[in-house]
Order: sequence, then structure tokens, then C-alpha cells
Amino acid sequence: MSRKRNHIVVVLLIVALMFTLIACAKPTAAPTPAPAPAPAESNYPEKPITNLMGFSPGGGSDQLAQLTVPFLSKNLNTTFTNVYKPGATGAIAWTELAKQTKNDGYTISVTPTPMLMTNYIMNPDITYTIEELEPLANVVTDPAVIAVGVDSPFKTYEDFVNAVKAEPGKVTVGNSGTGGDDFFTVLMWEQQTNLKVQMVPFQGDGPSWQAAQGGKIDASFTNLGITYPQVKAGNLRILAIFSAERSKLLPDVSTAKELGANVVTGASRGYSAPKGIPADAKAKLLDAFDEMFKDPEFVAACEKQGLEIDAMIGDEYGKFLKDNEAAYKDIWNAVKDQYKS
Amino acid sequence: MENVLLGLTNVLNLINIVAIFAGTAIGLFVGAMPGLSATMAIALLLPLTFGLPPATGISMLASLYLAAMYGGSIAAILIRTPGTPAAAATVLDGYPMAQKGQAGKALGVSLVASLVGGIISSIALLTVAPILGKIALQFGPIELFAVAVLGMTIIGSLSQGSTTKGLLAGAIGVMIAMVGMDPISGAPRFTFGYLQLFSGISFVVALIGLFSIPQAIRLIEKDIKLQKANKITDKMLPTLKELKTMWVTMIRSSFIGIFTGLIPGTGGDTACWFGYNEAKRFSKHKEKFGTGYPEGVAASEAANNAVVGGALIPTLALGIPGSSGTAVLMGGLMVHGIMPGPTLMTEYADVTYTLIWAVMLANFAMFGVGLLFTRVSVSVTKVPNKVLAPIIVILSVIGSFSINNSVFDVGLMFGFGLLGYFMDKIKMPTAPMIVGLILGMMLDNSFNQSMMMSQDDYLVFFKNPIAATLLAIAGLSILQSTPLFGFLRSKLIRGKNP
Repeated sequence: MSRKRNHIVVVLLIVALMFTLIACAKPTAAPTPAPAPAPAESNYPEKPITNLMGFSPGGGSDQLAQLTVPFLSKNLNTTFTNVYKPGATGAIAWTELAKQTKNDGYTISVTPTPMLMTNYIMNPDITYTIEELEPLANVVTDPAVIAVGVDSPFKTYEDFVNAVKAEPGKVTVGNSGTGGDDFFTVLMWEQQTNLKVQMVPFQGDGPSWQAAQGGKIDASFTNLGITYPQVKAGNLRILAIFSAERSKLLPDVSTAKELGANVVTGASRGYSAPKGIPADAKAKLLDAFDEMFKDPEFVAACEKQGLEIDAMIGDEYGKFLKDNEAAYKDIWNAVKDQYKS
Repeated sequence: MENVLLGLTNVLNLINIVAIFAGTAIGLFVGAMPGLSATMAIALLLPLTFGLPPATGISMLASLYLAAMYGGSIAAILIRTPGTPAAAATVLDGYPMAQKGQAGKALGVSLVASLVGGIISSIALLTVAPILGKIALQFGPIELFAVAVLGMTIIGSLSQGSTTKGLLAGAIGVMIAMVGMDPISGAPRFTFGYLQLFSGISFVVALIGLFSIPQAIRLIEKDIKLQKANKITDKMLPTLKELKTMWVTMIRSSFIGIFTGLIPGTGGDTACWFGYNEAKRFSKHKEKFGTGYPEGVAASEAANNAVVGGALIPTLALGIPGSSGTAVLMGGLMVHGIMPGPTLMTEYADVTYTLIWAVMLANFAMFGVGLLFTRVSVSVTKVPNKVLAPIIVILSVIGSFSINNSVFDVGLMFGFGLLGYFMDKIKMPTAPMIVGLILGMMLDNSFNQSMMMSQDDYLVFFKNPIAATLLAIAGLSILQSTPLFGFLRSKLIRGKNP
């Protein structure tokens, strides 16, 4: 009997250990910084801030959180708790953020563009909108690019355009998924150039550029940061970049604008809070972002990971989201009939 | 060559060895816990490795990944609940072995098979990674569709007893896989307005429900009759004689595992079924599979451990993750300031080769730690059912919640639990359903992609050499299980010997 009891104890211990493991592992809290001089007007933040993420650990949102949280917690003199609620391309977390989270400034969320808006533009079941959110700051933007395998017959952007013109709707172009940033980049590009390609959605950027590299599809609309190592190694060729100016990483690649397609777009990642957070909390959060962008250590950390800082704080970020929302709405309304199933 | 040796000397550093053992111990633990997956553990431990040198941190995570593959079989064998999806096929023969009082033996076979699979794939990783890595690029949507079709034929061989019920279960599995946003049009399918269903039903949630809850109920049902405690006096490690009968299976499964790992989008969860199926196909004792046959355990376990090395090949050689676990590992490299990509083998050769040797070493760490850990865990079989059953339920709840931090998933898990229970009552096998669930989405997505790429030309699958070969094998597998095949064969044999 006592033997049996021992085993029960062992099993219970395992369960307890597991709880501890989960408890220890989940919040990736940054080290608590040394106490800074007493804050001036208000005492926000008085407790840890929750960083709600709509994607699994290890994804792009998590990458941004791991990058920014150490700087934000230093600037705000508090710790952050990362909470992951993946599902519905982030819509579960953002619906919660918009509709249920207390707007006390103690919950913020990583918000990538365009997913934040295209989610509800494309699906009537998703009901939150950016009107219900308080945009804090955009941090990075990964510009969109047109990539082909190094063996591809398309040596230049003109080769690609000529092939599309020769056989409208036949040239296969990969994107990272229906509704994702690259999907909309293709649509914007088609609108601007009056050309038509055969879009092939993949599940993520990786499979899309890999298919281009392997010659399975003719080209891939993807992002610079994701493909840069492959470009550097000579496996992929970038035909055009959809940024306002040429990238420092690839100074020889022309922008789409220079080539006559006026499209500037990419995948951006920033932070938002629920609408109506206290003014002092908002001011402190915006200051914390401002300080972070000026921190040479932060700039160095971004460079190391191949991320391009695209700092937009407060209202500027809000306007960016609004402009994008309008643009994506137009595009989707123009094409959505092809996608009703 | 210089780099290879440099990596070896790097890895034999005290801190690296400690990291490998720590990773192994954690991996065994999360592997054994249903719902805690290696991918999740790697992602969560990643921030803790920031303080370590890159090679040490990544080596720790890779050992964790490897050990979790074996860890998954512990729960699969002892409580009929796969600890990781990659151990699902281990249940088929592992649990019956435990019921026969051979729990120790089953775990021993699993450990040895894991070791063999791990070592063979590590050798492949060390020697021919750049060549094999190129194969990964050969697999686009058209080839993946053929892989999915071939995988579907496994349903046939898992449907012993009643083919109709097996096929039905497989079809239900495929249907469940369709829940969620359509990857092509973006339209939600079968979601009934629930946001929680937009990303589809998490495969792990379904797996936990289908296996654990029916098992918990079964244990309670049985407890009325006082059960004799399982004997665990049997020796754990298989004897040389027993190994001799299994080595072909182990090596075959190892190669299957390496190739399944290589293909982006397929990992241990697929490899274990392929390994199991092929072992059965080539076995002289097909009827013994599913009844507690050690070779069944060896087949699936060698395959899922070989996946680790296989999946690392394209990751390290090309910067293309071969599985979800290696995708997170790649993210880890990025945080350490190492851009994953084709430059890993050249520019960062010191880190990369240290990692490869760490994977090799982790196999032995896994064997040692696993032996100790397993001896302790076998005592689970002595826990009375009325205690074990609620513990299984608790673990299932925690496991299904922790995947997406979602209570909805817990409810879903119980739903699948009841489904699994009733399927059990009407003797409908759950294994085909799992296969349908794993491959359904891939089948749907790759088919649609192929159609878009080929302007709706169905013949595209036959024009592609890889796809055509795989489809031919699939066709043969189906033919093999029809009465027609037996008829043809008997004709042939009779023709030769009149």
C-alpha cells in the first residue's frame, strides 16, 4: 500500500513540476532593470505590462517582441509578460484586445500590417476594427520584393513584365497566403500595371520563395528581410523592391516606382493598445518607443537581425493604419467576387 | 573537414555537454507530457538561451528536440496517449505490449530504435547534408500532393478488421482537416462563425482527445474488476537476438525518417506512419502488427527520431526548415544574430558543425538519460486505474489548453474524446482518422496549388517524374490490398509451376 502511495506521490510531483514548468516558461519576462529616478507626473506603470500576441512563439510577432521588450521595459521601468493567443491570423487576440481588454494601458499587442486590417476587411465574422484600437507605434517594415530563382529566365524586371504581357494570366506568381501582405502586393501591382498573373497562395513566405528557387513557380512576391540570406548566397534574384527608396542591403535593385509601377508596400509590425487608454499612460508608452528608436543599441540589434526600422509613433502610425485600411478595402472590393466560394 | 573537426572539439566542452544533457532531460519530459510539444518547448526556452554562446544555446534546443521524439513514446506505451504527435503510431503496438506486461521491453525497444534512427540521421547530416539538402527544393506543390496521396494509402493498411470502418474513419479525418480558412480563397469553412475555428482544428488537440479520454474512461470501466498490477520485471533492453530480427526495420525506418524530414511540410507526425506502414508491408508477420509486436514500436520510433537529422539537413544546408521544430530553431539562430541561410555551412561553420556534433552526442545522452527516466516512468503501470484515469484527464486538459492558451480547445478536446470513445465502442479504428487529419490539409492545399500552377491540367501529376513515381507506388499499394492482386499473383505462380 505504501508503495502504491509512493507512486501516487511521484505522479503528483510530476504534475506539480509541469505546472511550475509552464508557469516559469510562459512569461518571457525581461530582467527587471535597476530602479530609475522617480517618475514625474503619474506613476504609470505600477505593474507589469501584458504583451498580447496573436501568433505562436517563434513567429514574426514573437521576433519583434523579443527584440523590443528589453528596450521598452528599460525605458518604462517595468517588466513585460508575453501572452500568446494564436489563431485566425491574429484575430482572436485582437478581438480580445478591442472588445474585452481593460483600456488601462497595461495591455498592448503586436499589430502587423496589413493582417490587422485585412482580417476584418475580408471576413465579416471578424468584427473588431482599428477604430477600437489605440495605435502606439510602428517599429519595422520589411519591404515587398519580386524574387526569382537564380536559374530563372527572368534576368530583369522587364523580362518578367514582358513574359506576363505575352501570356496574360499564365505566369505563376507565389505569395505567402490569401489575405497576407504579399497577396495584396500582387493585387496592387496588377492594378497599377494593368497586367494579370496566375497567383498561387502558399502557407507562409518560406514555401513561396522556395518554390521560386526550385523553379516550381515563375516568381515569388515576398519580402526582403526574409529572402536576403538567399539573395546574398546567390540562390535568389530580386527583380524589384517595393520600397520608397532603394534598400541599403541591395543598392543595385531598382524600386518598383523607378520601374514605372507606383506601389510602395511591405509587411510592417508595430504595437497597439485598446482605445481610450489613460492619457498619461499613452504619453509614457509613446515616449518609451521614441527613446527606443534613438537608442543606438536598438538600431544595432535591428541591423544584426536584418530588420529595417520604420519608426512611426502615435498619430503618424494611426494615419498609416487608416490609409492602408482604405487602400486594402478598395483592392479587396475590386477582386472579392473572384474569391467568393 | 577542418570545420568538422573543429565542431567536434567545440562540442566536447563542459558547458556544451551540460547544455546537451539539460536539453535532453527537458526534452524527455516535454515529450512524455501529452500536449507539451518539442516545438513549443524550443520556442519557450529560446529566450533562456540568449545568455549562452550561440552554439551552446542552439545545441541545447536541438538535443531537446531529439529527446522529445523518444519521450513521446513513453506516454504512448504506458498510458496509450502519445506524448507528441510523432508517437501516434507507437501506440498501436506499444500499448498492447504494455498490457501484456512488457512495458519495459516496449520502452527499451523504443529507446534503441530512437538511438539507431538518431545516429543514422546524424551521420547523414554530418556527411551528405549539402547534397541531400537540394532534394528539399525538389518538393513543390505537385510533389507534395503525391506524397499526401501516398500517405493516404496507409489508411488502408491501418483498417484491419473492417476496411469500411477504417476508410470511413479516414474520410472523417480528412473532413475535420477541412475546418478553417480555405488556404486558397481565404473563406472560412465549417467555422460556424467561431473565430477559434478559423485556423482549423489543432491536430494536437484532436490527437489528445481521441487517444487520452477514451483511455481514461476505459480505465475506469475496467477498475470494477480488480486489475492485477502489470509485471515490470521484464528486461528493458532487447537482447541481441531480438535486435537481429528488428535491425532491417530500424534502418529502413531511419531512411524513411530522414527523407520525410527533408521534405518541407512533413515531419515526425507523418514519418512514424510511413515507417510503421513500410515495416508492415515488408514483414513476414503482417498479422502480428497491432497486437503488441516489438517491430511495430521500432518502426515508428526509428522513423521519428531520424526526422530530427533529416529536418536539420535543409535547415542548415539551405536555410529551409524541414519541420515546425526546425523552423523555431531557425528563429533561434536569428535571435543569436546568425542569419539562417545557405551561409550557415560556410560563414558560420563553427556554430553549425558544433550543432551537428551536438545532435550526434545528444543521441547518447538521450540513451543514458532515457534509460534512467524510463525505469522510473515504468512505475506508472503500477498506479491504480482509479488514480491514473483522472490524472490522464488533467494532463489532457493542461495539454490542450497550453497549445493556444484557449479554453475553447479544451472543450474541443473533450468533444474528440467522446467521439473517440464511441468509435472505440463500435470498433472503428482511430488511427486512420489521425492519418486523414494529418494529410487532409496538405492534400487539399497542394492539389489546388498544382491546379493553379498548371492551368487546371490534371495530367500535371503524371508529367512530373517525382510525383508520377510516388503516385505509382500509391497505386500499387492500393492494388496490393485488393482481391485482384491475390488473384493475379496466384495466376502468375500457377503459370510458372504448372
